[in-house]
Amino acid sequence: MAVSTIYSTQALNSTHFLTSSSSSKQVFLYRRQPQTNRRFNTLITCAQETIVIGLAADSGCGKSTFMRRLTSVFGGAAKPPKGGNPDSNTLISDTTTVICLDDYHSLDRYGRKEQKVTALDPRANDFDLMYEQVKALKNGVAVEKPIYNHVTGLLDPPELIQPPKILVIEGLHPMFDERVRDLLDFSIYLDISNEVKFAWKIQRDMAERGHSLESIKASIEARKPDFDAFIDPQKQYADAVIEVLPTTLIPDDNEGKVLRVRLIMKEGVKYFSPVYLFDEGSTISWIPCGRKLTCSYPGIKFNYEPDSYFDHEVSVLEMDGQFDRLDELIYVESHLSNLSTKFYGEVTQQMLKHADFPGSNNGTGLFQTIVGLKIRDLYEQLIANKATARAEAKA
Amino acid sequence: MISGSATASHGRVLLPSHRERRPVSTGSNILRFRETVPRQFSLMMVTKATAKYMGTKMREEKLSEMIEEKVKEATEVCEAEEMSEECRVAWDEVEEVSQARADLRIKLKLLNQDPLESFCQENPETDECRIYED
Repeated sequence: MAVSTIYSTQALNSTHFLTSSSSSKQVFLYRRQPQTNRRFNTLITCAQETIVIGLAADSGCGKSTFMRRLTSVFGGAAKPPKGGNPDSNTLISDTTTVICLDDYHSLDRYGRKEQKVTALDPRANDFDLMYEQVKALKNGVAVEKPIYNHVTGLLDPPELIQPPKILVIEGLHPMFDERVRDLLDFSIYLDISNEVKFAWKIQRDMAERGHSLESIKASIEARKPDFDAFIDPQKQYADAVIEVLPTTLIPDDNEGKVLRVRLIMKEGVKYFSPVYLFDEGSTISWIPCGRKLTCSYPGIKFNYEPDSYFDHEVSVLEMDGQFDRLDELIYVESHLSNLSTKFYGEVTQQMLKHADFPGSNNGTGLFQTIVGLKIRDLYEQLIANKATARAEAKA
Repeated sequence: MISGSATASHGRVLLPSHRERRPVSTGSNILRFRETVPRQFSLMMVTKATAKYMGTKMREEKLSEMIEEKVKEATEVCEAEEMSEECRVAWDEVEEVSQARADLRIKLKLLNQDPLESFCQENPETDECRIYED
């Protein structure tokens, strides 16, 4: 399952021996050339495959719960790099590394103030560096990535990032630059509607002494022009969009606790087969609560339909309401198809693992978990495909 | 619970109950869970997010102060000229610092991780790594 490429380089000495370094997976082959002055050694590099996932969301790298759900599907908990800068935004698990794109700010907080640009503005970000480093990691080369310190607002000295099996780049602009977009194997856009955003920010900020309802509202309004101009257009490029809207089950609800969540899945994406309900490509409206399953207020409602999104064919799976009990979740899971689970009840088990995370009882947690399983499936298919391609090439 | 809040949050969460255990002959662990979860319950979670190290406590306080300052600043700048570039940048700073504050809260509360944990294991003698006591 390893790709091997052979390079010839100049050598300092020429002795005939073989050494291997397990951490960098490189094998050095030295060959003696007594007759000529030219001495060279042959470098064989065996690299692992790296897939790159892009996740676009407002509020930069605050998606800790989404990331942790994602990484837990692959196994292992994601933690900040050990012993490094405590204000690092990076998360590392056995298989996955999550990079925060705020680290590619070309202007720190003071620079942005001076130049009068927000963090949402592409002028505040170094897309050349982003492209180079993501490309390097994808090709199995470690990089020294800068750190943007959100507490001080300054750019800290870089940290070493080793190429992982799965690289996730999350932030405001993963799909903004075309070159970076082409490096992504899968991309997700988290689209929060204005009402829900307002409700969530109230919950997030009201406990702070500096904030009031007015300040929260003003902050959202002031960021809107840049957000609509630079961030929002990225959703047309995403392979999956998770749209979070206010519920239709409770009239005039403005608390944002019960949510209507839509998983918009692009058709025709390689290695990605959309989840469906009952009959693929048809339009289904489903209320699981009835004789076999009793739900409490406000209940659960599902919708599934084919649609068109920015001139692409998509399938949309929608959940409105919330889960109250475990058997509701497993009942729903047993009726969904194409989940890419490895065993019956895997979605439920993953949701249970993080039962205390926000969104565990509604569509946000459910669809985040499903997207995680889809990414795992994509990774395994990609690896298997590359292995067979190499085997065929050798033959 | 949608996002972290400082003190209490109401939410219906899924947790297996360990009180009733009836033996089930079917294979899957999930089905065993089905038998042990009570019919209906709601859980009010009151978790106190406390820092373990002085460094984290100082960061928390610094971020809270910065939020206050920057909100004041943004309000003043925007009074002068609404929707100017300075106004937008000022509110963007408020957002950045508010999110950083919330992230720290989430890390401490949900994940029970003090961000300085691994740093302090390597450097226990620094000021930042003194244990914080209320």
